[in-house]
Amino acid sequence: MRNGYIVHFRFIIRMKLALIMTTCAVMNVSANVFSQQKVSLDVQKTKLSKVLKMIEEQSDYYFVYNSTNENLNKEVSVNVNNTKVLDVLTKLFNKSGLIYSVSKEGLVVVSQQQQVAVAGVVTDDKGSPLAGASVRVKGTAVGRATDINGRFIIDAATGNTLIISFAGYTSQEVAVTKDGDLKIVLLEDNRMLNEVVVTALGVKKEKRSLGYSVTQVAGESLTTARENNVMNSLAGKVAGLDISSTSGGAGAASNVTIRGVSSLNQTNQPLYVINGIPMESKPVGIGNANSKGNSGSQWDNAPDLGDAISNINPDDIESISVLKGAAASALYGSRAKAGVILITTKSGKGNSIDFNSNLVAEQIIDNTNWQTVYGQGANGEKPTTQAGAAQVGGSSWGAKLDGTPVVQFDGASRPYSLQKGNLDRFYRTGSTWTNTLALNKSFDGGSIRLSGTDVNNRSVVPNSGLKRQSFNLVGLFEPLKGLTIDARYNMILEQVKNRPMVSDGAGNANYNVMFLPTSINVNDLKPWKDSNGKEILYNSGNVYATNPWFAANEFINNTNRDRSIASVTAKYTMDNGLFVQGRAGRDAYTDHYKNVVPSGTGYYENGKIAEQETKFADINADVLVGKSFTLGDYTLTPNLGASYRNTKIRQTTNLGTDFAIFGVYNILNAKNKSVAYLESESETQSTYGTLEFAYKDVAYLTGSLRSDWFSTLATPGVDNKLNSVYPAISGSFIFSEYLKPSWLSFGKLRAGFAQVGQATDPYQTLLTYNFRSEVLNGQPLGVINNVNIPNSSLKASTATELEIGTELRLFNDRVNLDLTWYDKKSKDEISFITTPSASGYAGAVLNAGKMQNRGFEALISATVVKTEDFKWVSSLNGSYNDNKVISLAEGMDEQTVATSRSGVGYLMNKVGMPAFQIMAFDYKYDSNGEIVKLADGSPDRGELKSYGSAMNKWFAGWNNEFNYKRFNFSFLIDGKWGGKLFSGTDYYGYIFGLHQETVADRESLGRTASTYYTNTANNVSKIFVNSADFIKLRQVVMGYSFPSNLFNNKIKSITVSAVARNLWTISKKTNNIDPESSYNATFPGLELGGVPAVRTYGVNLSVKF
Amino acid sequence: MKRYIKPVFISLIAASLFLESSCTKDFEKINTDPVAYGKENWDPNYTLSSAQLFYTGSFDFAYDTWRGNLIYSSTMMQGLSTVVSYWAGDKYMLNESYTAAYWGTGTVGAYIEQVRNIVDVVEFTKDKPKYANLYNVARIWKALIFARLTDLYGDVPYSEAGLGFYTKVYKPKYDKQQDIYNDLLKELETATAALKDDGDKVTGDVIYKGDIAKWRKFGNSLLLRTAMRLVKVDEAKAKEYVQKVAGKTMDSNADNAFILHDESGSRVTQNRNSQVLLGDGGQENYYVKWSKTFIDYLKSNNDPRLQKVAVTKLYLSEKDKDQNSGFVTDPTKQKGMPNGKDLGSNAQYNISSDPSYTTFADYSSPNPNMIKRTGATFILTYGESELLLAEASQRWGIGGSAGDHYKKGVKASITYLNQYDGSLAISDADAETYLAANPFNAADALKQINTQYWAHTITMMDFYETWSNWRRSGYPALTPVNYPGNATSGTIPRRFPYPSTEAAINGENYRAASAAVPGGDKLSGRVWWDK
Repeated sequence: MRNGYIVHFRFIIRMKLALIMTTCAVMNVSANVFSQQKVSLDVQKTKLSKVLKMIEEQSDYYFVYNSTNENLNKEVSVNVNNTKVLDVLTKLFNKSGLIYSVSKEGLVVVSQQQQVAVAGVVTDDKGSPLAGASVRVKGTAVGRATDINGRFIIDAATGNTLIISFAGYTSQEVAVTKDGDLKIVLLEDNRMLNEVVVTALGVKKEKRSLGYSVTQVAGESLTTARENNVMNSLAGKVAGLDISSTSGGAGAASNVTIRGVSSLNQTNQPLYVINGIPMESKPVGIGNANSKGNSGSQWDNAPDLGDAISNINPDDIESISVLKGAAASALYGSRAKAGVILITTKSGKGNSIDFNSNLVAEQIIDNTNWQTVYGQGANGEKPTTQAGAAQVGGSSWGAKLDGTPVVQFDGASRPYSLQKGNLDRFYRTGSTWTNTLALNKSFDGGSIRLSGTDVNNRSVVPNSGLKRQSFNLVGLFEPLKGLTIDARYNMILEQVKNRPMVSDGAGNANYNVMFLPTSINVNDLKPWKDSNGKEILYNSGNVYATNPWFAANEFINNTNRDRSIASVTAKYTMDNGLFVQGRAGRDAYTDHYKNVVPSGTGYYENGKIAEQETKFADINADVLVGKSFTLGDYTLTPNLGASYRNTKIRQTTNLGTDFAIFGVYNILNAKNKSVAYLESESETQSTYGTLEFAYKDVAYLTGSLRSDWFSTLATPGVDNKLNSVYPAISGSFIFSEYLKPSWLSFGKLRAGFAQVGQATDPYQTLLTYNFRSEVLNGQPLGVINNVNIPNSSLKASTATELEIGTELRLFNDRVNLDLTWYDKKSKDEISFITTPSASGYAGAVLNAGKMQNRGFEALISATVVKTEDFKWVSSLNGSYNDNKVISLAEGMDEQTVATSRSGVGYLMNKVGMPAFQIMAFDYKYDSNGEIVKLADGSPDRGELKSYGSAMNKWFAGWNNEFNYKRFNFSFLIDGKWGGKLFSGTDYYGYIFGLHQETVADRESLGRTASTYYTNTANNVSKIFVNSADFIKLRQVVMGYSFPSNLFNNKIKSITVSAVARNLWTISKKTNNIDPESSYNATFPGLELGGVPAVRTYGVNLSVKF
Repeated sequence: MKRYIKPVFISLIAASLFLESSCTKDFEKINTDPVAYGKENWDPNYTLSSAQLFYTGSFDFAYDTWRGNLIYSSTMMQGLSTVVSYWAGDKYMLNESYTAAYWGTGTVGAYIEQVRNIVDVVEFTKDKPKYANLYNVARIWKALIFARLTDLYGDVPYSEAGLGFYTKVYKPKYDKQQDIYNDLLKELETATAALKDDGDKVTGDVIYKGDIAKWRKFGNSLLLRTAMRLVKVDEAKAKEYVQKVAGKTMDSNADNAFILHDESGSRVTQNRNSQVLLGDGGQENYYVKWSKTFIDYLKSNNDPRLQKVAVTKLYLSEKDKDQNSGFVTDPTKQKGMPNGKDLGSNAQYNISSDPSYTTFADYSSPNPNMIKRTGATFILTYGESELLLAEASQRWGIGGSAGDHYKKGVKASITYLNQYDGSLAISDADAETYLAANPFNAADALKQINTQYWAHTITMMDFYETWSNWRRSGYPALTPVNYPGNATSGTIPRRFPYPSTEAAINGENYRAASAAVPGGDKLSGRVWWDK
């Protein structure tokens, strides 16, 4: 009935409107006086038409309407005092079913609102359609996504506004006027304040609707000044994200921690989700018996074999979304405890060919500050014989440097003088050349993107480097209306030559060049082998002190990875908005690792070999069904989903020792061979549901529930609970819709509360036995298989997190502020506690312990200067995290996490203190408070004490971008404060007599100086605890974009940039090392024998055809 | 609104229930390691084999043997001598990671390799009649393992050790050495008595191949050695136990317990002492020699062992690890290297300034046939057993004549060398000639017996035992070296300090034990029985 009524009036109103519009156009008088006119009204339940009359009386406005329109008879109440007419009108016509337009002359045409189907196409500024852009009616949650060709159809009413947004682009608002095609062009937004962000399960959402903090970074910011491991380029750019590279050289893993460490012993690395498919990123390989990587102890002397995320090609990344808190990541349930990083890769856009070339040089930074007074030798004396010199070849406990000739390890006589600069002599200038070619093709019903990238790295470490070739094919198709198919295939081939050893000295070039005695020139250690191919030892007193040239040139630590990541997503959206989405992905790689201790090696003359093949396959599949329901101003969107994950690993290691033919490195050449084999499988099944509730553009509330079932908790014969449930709720309120002072353009409050968790590795629940690879005269050797004491009642650990935040845009969007406070508590921590070996095991898997992280994050960005030609945007992000271990397993108030190679520095968790405490020995004090000394005067050992957490508390990044015409310049300064670092380098500096502090009493101590300082180092190891505070000039980029008309428009764009990273350490408190040194990603705060920090500089060329 | 919420959650719960009932059934199977064995299909005999092998030293390049047995015990006892700078024991210097090596870490050492496996065999077989003999052999082996541990460190985790899985005690307490010894004696007595000739065959035994009669004699000889350790602190108890085993100990060298090694498994199965002394990890082959003290003793008594165990000119160049096949066994050419020397520039300590020095090749090395990769590691011998009986008889007049036991002991410890290699065989006649020239002397018996014990265990290369017996008996009187920076004020060390890592991983128990060491938790502190 009502519909007919509307149709009836529509005709009349259209006629009138056309007439009036024409009139206005003809008069074309410009008069703005009306807009300033104000009225005062105080009416209760009065007809709208009457109120309009009252306004006409008080002002010069004049209203035109069809008096038969029933909506004008609606009763309204309004109370305004000296308010602009235009503001009064907004209130009056809100929800009236009417729309109005105001001419400059004060003529207000009131007409019946109409329902229209608006169609349109969304493209970027180059005309390429944007698939998946969001089109929403402002003030409601009614929205649609554009199809593969950027097209959309949405029901709206005339007078409504459409908001069109797309991740990485500035949103646009368009008024709905009539039926017809809209053409909307979105402009790229390179600031990190995108209106639309990718959220859990790959769902794109407007940021205003989120009850939690999400930071999205555009892919461009990762490719100009790049790092081999893409995650390292995020350092300092995102509040709450703590990223540090590790000292493993080319292809090494990166340490990424979101909002503090989330687990006591399990991985603290976030879950990566690439185009909706989760990807585990953890280290694997020989020597990493520790599933968490190299912990730096003597038995972990192995190269860093990298992580899975480092394989991802930055050129293929469209955007990275960092889901920091539990509320954001709750839909990933048991995989979300450490946060989630969503990576969306590029898909075909328009028709173009993109080419990018990046060439950088790399140089090490020599942080050493060793003593320069005493030379190589022992007992305060120079060597007098070749054998004597070689026997103490690594020691700087000799006599005062005097420049006189002295015999060295090789029998040659050289001046006894300072040889500073060995690091610079040993490490070379490295380089990385990256070339990417991407082809984009759009056609009716789909698009394709094909890209190929070649990375060629020559490491600073001699004879080492990384090569990577990646190919990425992305197809988007819409075979039927409403059905989109997104298919991706990414092939990665990576070859790393000689990943350098870290930590201990055996086979480790870094260690040996670092501790070379003051009077030895590293170039004199060449040649590194004799005519028989045997290592020339510079330190025969310790054959594990491998000649650094021999370590670099003869040892083999090569890895080859052949990886493919494939995914298919099909989504069918019905006309009524109901969608069904299915997604399946497989990430599979085969790793080959060849490790050779060469023939002639000092510590293993006959040589040995290991050939390890690891096959990893991770299958993820999920389905999602959802639909939005609108009830007036309310919108309700339920979604239901389920997912399945299965991970299989198979690893075969062929081990061989004692080569039959000297210097031939294949497994068949080994006289003694043995084999190791492992197989592992785990499965997780999940169901989840979400319910989103929206009230206009003002308030949003989302609840979700997920349940995960874990195979890794199953124990034969024990009926334990296999699942965990993860609830979440979050809400957002745009208060600026109600309270809008002139200086505030946007204001939002948000809050979220959620639970997430972490499962565990397979086979931790039972005690099992196995055989060693070797047999003793035919008798198999049986051993207990478990490293850790198993636990048959394991359950998944959980963390609950509350976060509250606000987003403000001030002064016409010139200043943006985003603040978050969070409180995260975890319990049932799965702890791999280190047990004394007397227990029979190296550790135990326990399921107890609580931890808390509290902190805040702030991002303030401001457009400081903005003129037509010049723009300066400055943004500062800062975060603070306060971590506390609330409890550990029952009856334990401390647990050891890792031990420094020195044996006198530890990483421990202690109740009541932040996790990862650096532990070292204090002086021993007698009852009078005096330091107790040993017979030789060196200090006795006191208590093992904690000297602060290895985790930093404060982080900040300050980024500045300047644009002047076609030039741009940017720099990033970042810093971290509050963390501690146990320096294994300083420790050995003492042991070998290199440390500055070993100079003081040498003369008076005479022959016993080395014993004295060695005792001091071993007994009072607290002197090696350093503050890890630093401020660094992290990145500088200077670029120029050529005008395209320069090339007859044949080239769409050319940008050339000069780039530099890690240019300058502005401040640090460590003495001989970089404050960010670490063995690996999982055990912070310990360091030794890594590749020195590297600075890079070079050029980037980006061309689009 | 509510009408939507309800169906959403109902379907979610329904879907969840469906999943749980249908798909998680095979989770137990998925979570069972396909390449491992459970309690139901494992044979604990195989674990015994590992526990036996690892008593000879760590799987990882003789980790504990190198540091504990060779670097420290052999040089402190002046069996070996070296100028290698990191052989801290030769100069009584403290290298904590070396003294801690025998105890070990979560990867290597006595607890994680020996205790872990043997305790599991005992727990696995307890109350299982089909493994009765295996159970008792394992108990004897366990006593052997713990005796050495406590001899080196004093109070150590014992009653709670190795039981992490079974008792969930993650930080085992340190037991008093006295309590440990009481229990070792009881265990050895009852386990040996419970061995049954017609019981299960101990298939994992790599020493006697399951010969129960030999195990019985082994158990009794070990009980004898364990009891004799107590002569300084509890002579009555020592005597009581010796009386119990009199006549039941080993009868001949055929009863000797040793493990023959295997080259094929590389470091894991090759002879531990040999890997080090052949220079696999350094220049030990060239720079580690028989000590002057040891060679002088053999020489002065015209000992027939001298020409078998010592050779000169074995390695001619420090650069080359190839042995000179023309090595010299002539006893008159043998020369030991003095302890406490180095390659430094101070003439007081530099070996080349020593009057004995000519070249390194002229100092005596162990005979290459003693240090074969496949060679034997001796665990307990008839020779030791008889010498201990001789001392017991001398002290308390029990178990036969001291002189008889002495003769048997010395003869056995001369003639057993053929178990290393046929080429080292010494005839009974030569042994008897030696005994005739060096007859038992009751007036000086303890010195004589224990000096023979010292020489015998040195040839066994069981320097741990040499050190323990020296600390117990005080014989032979060794002249200590006094090297700058030594940790004992120039006295021979009497104990290994506890590993400093214990402060971090077993803090409370460690602190109590460390504070209770008589003489302090250092090289000069003492274990309970070494009062």
